Amino acid sequence: MTLTIADYVIIALYFAFVIGIGWLLRKRVTTSADFLTSAHSVPLWITSLAFVSTNLGAQELIGMCASGAKYGIMTSHFYWVGAIPAMIFVGVFMMPFYYGSRARSVPEYLKLRFDEKTRGFNAITFALMTLFSSGISMYALGLLFQLLLGWSFTASVLLSAVIVLIYTFLGGLTSAIYNEVLQFFLIVLGFAPLAILAVVKAGGWEGMAARLPEVMTSSWRHMGNPADNPMGVEVFGMVAGLGFVLSFGYWCTNYLVVQRAMAADSMSSARLTPLVGAFPKMFIPFIVILPGIAAMALAKMAIGFEIPQKNGGYNYDMVLTVLMSKFYPSGMLGVGITALMASFMSGMAGNVTAFNTVWTYDIYQGHIRRHAPDSHYLWVGRMSTIFGVALSIGAAYLATLYNNLMDLLQLVFGFVNAPLFATFLLGMFWKRATGHGAFSGLLAGTAAASLTHGLTVAEGKGGWLGSVHVFPSTMAQNFWIAIFAWTACFVVTIFISMATRPRQEGELKGLVYGLTELPREEGVRWYRRPGPLAWVVGVACVVLNLIFW
Amino acid sequence: MWDLRTPSGIFFVILGLILGSQGVFASGARAALTTVNINLYVGVTMIAFGGILLWLAKRAS
Repeated sequence: MTLTIADYVIIALYFAFVIGIGWLLRKRVTTSADFLTSAHSVPLWITSLAFVSTNLGAQELIGMCASGAKYGIMTSHFYWVGAIPAMIFVGVFMMPFYYGSRARSVPEYLKLRFDEKTRGFNAITFALMTLFSSGISMYALGLLFQLLLGWSFTASVLLSAVIVLIYTFLGGLTSAIYNEVLQFFLIVLGFAPLAILAVVKAGGWEGMAARLPEVMTSSWRHMGNPADNPMGVEVFGMVAGLGFVLSFGYWCTNYLVVQRAMAADSMSSARLTPLVGAFPKMFIPFIVILPGIAAMALAKMAIGFEIPQKNGGYNYDMVLTVLMSKFYPSGMLGVGITALMASFMSGMAGNVTAFNTVWTYDIYQGHIRRHAPDSHYLWVGRMSTIFGVALSIGAAYLATLYNNLMDLLQLVFGFVNAPLFATFLLGMFWKRATGHGAFSGLLAGTAAASLTHGLTVAEGKGGWLGSVHVFPSTMAQNFWIAIFAWTACFVVTIFISMATRPRQEGELKGLVYGLTELPREEGVRWYRRPGPLAWVVGVACVVLNLIFW
Repeated sequence: MWDLRTPSGIFFVILGLILGSQGVFASGARAALTTVNINLYVGVTMIAFGGILLWLAKRAS
């Protein structure tokens, strides 16, 4: 793949605009709240697109296209099962407590609702996780551009990181969010044409269905038995593991996405953010998954299109970029490469802005220096933005040296994250839950996750304590790890809470269901109210599942 | 307070002009698997999209 002048002009234009947006926003930052949380100032249409965009990193685009090629339309479960229901839930039921309480971050909610140790556990693991995940995606991007365009690894890693640093340093969270919207438009306009060209070339949906095994074009029909589908997952594992535990854990408790909604300019906008965001989210599979399926069909058409190989098997991660090189001439190729960079940057900026807030408010202000003037915390926020980016770059280089270490870290973060939703669910909806309960629940959930991994085997992974059960795929193993972790956390939190002293009801006002006055929505048109909008989203999502049944 | 739709609109109009002119002046440029002048079509779409954003921003101000 070679780029021409026109392609480089497009890339440069994009860089100029993202930095320009940061520059225009720099004057809006006068307090630490402006810098770290946008001080409740961002309009709904912007927060809702940013909510979706920050999750739409480059690894997501490449990975979803790869899964489309590998598993077919079943990949849509990651959206229509693994995202939309949780987005409805966080908007309708949880946002009143996040936005309505004095909490500035998700860990701070845990501090207000439970205690310092629960917050500390969540804040520290979350901060580390954001650094490593932005490092790992930087590493993936650097490798990809090296392979594809012959760019130097160091140059692409440093250039992309420095641009993210400049615009987040200048305008803080607002700048990250505003740029995420621009990036979202660019990702859609850059990849939708590829999906259309590839699908049309493959003969449309009918043409693809005729050329591929039936399991590739039906999302639910082969899920009765894990042996019948390429994911190796059955309905319960999918719905409970992905659809409930993992998805609710991510969309409802991960500060990376919740931060976008909490930046909204009113309670009503904050609640509507995930619901409005659900509309574009529902249709992203058509841009990212369909090209992958189309690629498998194209490979059977004897038109000179082949799926790239690696170690004797298909290299699914290259499907998206190979499609680009076969369908995009110079010009659109530049747009496609820019869109990949944009998706990388939206993901990385999300991590960086979540990191600097949790570091400044939950770790620094919570544990290191409590009562400093606000200007000091603004300074710490800015400095932690620089440190965060520098540490991510370090993590990217660590990944080049110790690839196995990165796999291990991701596994451990998975163990820590799996039980989180149980803690939030009990914290928000059961006033009897206590800090000791929540903390021991989290530890028990993490332990249960490691134990499940240690006692089961899938594709040669896990089983370091023995083998009680063999899963047909690591995906099935992950879903079941999540189910066990969640259950352990839920049960242990309840037991320990019953055995420890509850907090006074007066202290829990604004934090728990039943002790909080819920926002009233009278006199507002139906499409501006979370309830009716949630129904529209829910029905549309069910219809999509039925169409591709 | 400025409106995000303004810079986004300008961005997509410029990008659309670059792509569109590639489509017009290098109208033979095709990738291996397609006969569609994709630069031209996406260029025009981007100009229209950018224009709509600018119009919305103007109407709001």
